[in-house]
Amino acid sequence: MKAQLRRQEFISMVAGSLLLLTQACHAYGQEEKIAQHESSNPTAQASTGVTGLINVTPRGLLQKHMTDNWVSYNGNYTGARYSAMTQITPANVGRLAAQWVFHARAVSPLEVTPLVDSGIMFVTSANDAYALDAKTGKLLWHHARAVTPGLVDDAGQHHNRGVAILGTRAYMETDNAHLLCLDARSGGLIWDVPYATGNKNYGATSAPLIVKDKVLVGTAGGDDGVRGFLAAFDAESGEEKWRFWTIPAPGEKGNESWPGDTYLHGGGTAWMPGTYDPELNTLYWGTGNPSPDYDGSVRPGDDLYTSCLLALDPDNGTLKWYFQFSPHDLFDYDAVQTPVIVDARFKGQPRKLIVTANRNGFLYILDRTDGKFLFAKQFAQRQNWANGIDKNGRPISAGLTPNQSGVQVCPAAGGATNWYSPSYNPATHMFYFRSLDACALIKSSTEPFEEGHTYYSTGTRGVGEPGKGFINAFDLDTLDFAWRDLQYGMDKGWGGVMSTATGLIAYGDDTQNFVILDGRSGKPLWHFNVGQLIHASPMSYAVDGKEFFAIAAGSDVFSFALP
Amino acid sequence: MGLHRIGAFLVVCVIMILACTYAQAQNQSPLLGARRFLQFCAGCHGTDGKGGDKAASLATSESVRARSDEDLFRIVHDGTTEGMPPFAQIGETNIRAVVHFLRMLEGQSISGSDTAQAPVKGDVGSGRSLYFGKAKCSTCHMMQGKGGFIASDLTAYGRNRGNDAIKQAITTPDSQLVPSSRVVTVRTRGGQSVTGVLRNEDNFSLDLQTEDGRYHLLQRSGLTDVHYTDRSLMPRDYGTLLSPEELNDLASFLIAESRTPRAVAGQSQ
Repeated sequence: MKAQLRRQEFISMVAGSLLLLTQACHAYGQEEKIAQHESSNPTAQASTGVTGLINVTPRGLLQKHMTDNWVSYNGNYTGARYSAMTQITPANVGRLAAQWVFHARAVSPLEVTPLVDSGIMFVTSANDAYALDAKTGKLLWHHARAVTPGLVDDAGQHHNRGVAILGTRAYMETDNAHLLCLDARSGGLIWDVPYATGNKNYGATSAPLIVKDKVLVGTAGGDDGVRGFLAAFDAESGEEKWRFWTIPAPGEKGNESWPGDTYLHGGGTAWMPGTYDPELNTLYWGTGNPSPDYDGSVRPGDDLYTSCLLALDPDNGTLKWYFQFSPHDLFDYDAVQTPVIVDARFKGQPRKLIVTANRNGFLYILDRTDGKFLFAKQFAQRQNWANGIDKNGRPISAGLTPNQSGVQVCPAAGGATNWYSPSYNPATHMFYFRSLDACALIKSSTEPFEEGHTYYSTGTRGVGEPGKGFINAFDLDTLDFAWRDLQYGMDKGWGGVMSTATGLIAYGDDTQNFVILDGRSGKPLWHFNVGQLIHASPMSYAVDGKEFFAIAAGSDVFSFALP
Repeated sequence: MGLHRIGAFLVVCVIMILACTYAQAQNQSPLLGARRFLQFCAGCHGTDGKGGDKAASLATSESVRARSDEDLFRIVHDGTTEGMPPFAQIGETNIRAVVHFLRMLEGQSISGSDTAQAPVKGDVGSGRSLYFGKAKCSTCHMMQGKGGFIASDLTAYGRNRGNDAIKQAITTPDSQLVPSSRVVTVRTRGGQSVTGVLRNEDNFSLDLQTEDGRYHLLQRSGLTDVHYTDRSLMPRDYGTLLSPEELNDLASFLIAESRTPRAVAGQSQ
């Protein structure tokens, strides 16, 4: 009798709930605007207090103390990929275990860094976006969009580095440089803005970055004769708010390097997310190499603002200062590597710094308040294009110039480091990054620009000893390397690094392992064979008090936690 | 059982078998198409037709959508120069079944009776007002970037559906309940009751989404009861709430919107 009554009660409850729910569907007024309410507990995670309810606030994006939520490409605006979580330690990391695998339909190895907010994970693969239950890896929604045929070079590989989130909206770039705004609760498409027109060689491969009320995007195509830019769009309406062209037009400062209409094909693309200092209200954004890559004869002079770090005002896109790593670059030395924001003692004095390892084989430290050059150190084991860096940070050219028969250049065109993420750990005072020691034969021949074709103006191949990969720990206190860990394998992996408050370094190695090292000593503590190439950088998050690491590898996303 | 009862039972069985076979032959049973799609196509094109490791999305591809059924038949039969192998060997019935199933994945009408160029019979402007007003469709459904998130995006819904099929879907919903729209009520060990849309489930966990957008990430071990309803959130009273004229207008709006190119955000048209 009791069971029967309970059953009747339950049925009435269900019926009642259904009735209420359907009535509510009639009556409920959906708000289209971005929800901007703050968490009820201001000292808790600033983005949201409720598991499963997406709402990334501008305050949440500002988080410095990074724990449960990884709310932008590098986790927060510093670019340090430093997690303050302490559950996983050197003592217990040996017990780390795979929790789940998500298989994305991939057309090329995933390059995404997953985002997590409130227990929901967001990943992309080519033009698709997925929302996952971050505890189980199960699919919540899938926004599918066909890849675009006819693209060149990197965009034609359909790489995608992930979404950006603000409020209840997720933003992503498509391979053909559209900015999409999706409802993060369903994957529904709210708006679609094509943002790079006038040259068929534009594409996009990055994750957008949200700063205040704007979505910031750049393009691919820097080796294909496009004119680079960084553009800001209103996160609500999709209206373009400003655009900073990295190649100056006639009459603008720096145009001296660009005779005629070469500025329209100058490269300097902003193809990776930058960093942001809210107190200085400054964006730090790296630009790519000049185009055509290997033929400098058509672009005499320093080729501003290619291979530069730009400091921009996020409200209007005006340039505050710039620092050029490789003036008149001839070797494809992009400068889009993360300009990591570090507050630390430099030579005994507390300073606001940018620390970055550049493709040209040198590690740089700049003062981020004014761009003043403070320090450079060669980290490439083999380097022959520069006879050092002068006191202003300008390289002293060794005079190497690619020609028809080719010149041997170290580092190789792929760089002594590349786009894979570095990490700064304030607990160890160390800057961690992957490097590659390799040389290349670089040839050059003047060619015309043509849509539908790359614009390297000729080519490169590896030469000399095979490249050797390293994971490096650079000590900011001693301004020297604490350790350099040689990577075995054939240099096919392009995995970045992250670090934690317990001194752990996590990264994907060159032989399909996800690895965790002791950050102070470089000693390996744990690894897991993911069985496919790691071409992405790791992140960490927590749900209901359980700490996870996650990394994309091949066509899958892997997640790990303590049992 | 008496002999006459056995006889009656056998007759009923035979009739049912004949009816099923007839129905299969006539209506291109979706079940056959689904099975054959899984068997021959999903390995490359994904179980939902949205693309796999080896081949592109079909269900969301504009160019696939635009092709005629005969065109698709030929492609499956002969293969392509881009590397799709021919499937002539699976036979004409199976090829037609997978093409038919693909149309379903694209969101097209099952009966196929209403064609791509379905006439617009009602007042589109009135339909728009109803969609965002009296009928409150936008509360749950997104349309051209505006509207809710808890139910499906209707932007392309009217593309290959006719007036009658749309009206029927509005007035008698859930005749073919999409799994990720099913409403489920659970009771937790803590005594809490949650009713929401079931987004996924397996032997160990299930994820519900409530109409505030929140995902409830649940372990079965934490639940004392899981009750599956046979319905989505779609109200079932549109047949009485809306007049025949209003239903026509709404259907016309959906058809017209599906043919309207998306407005580019932030720019005046």
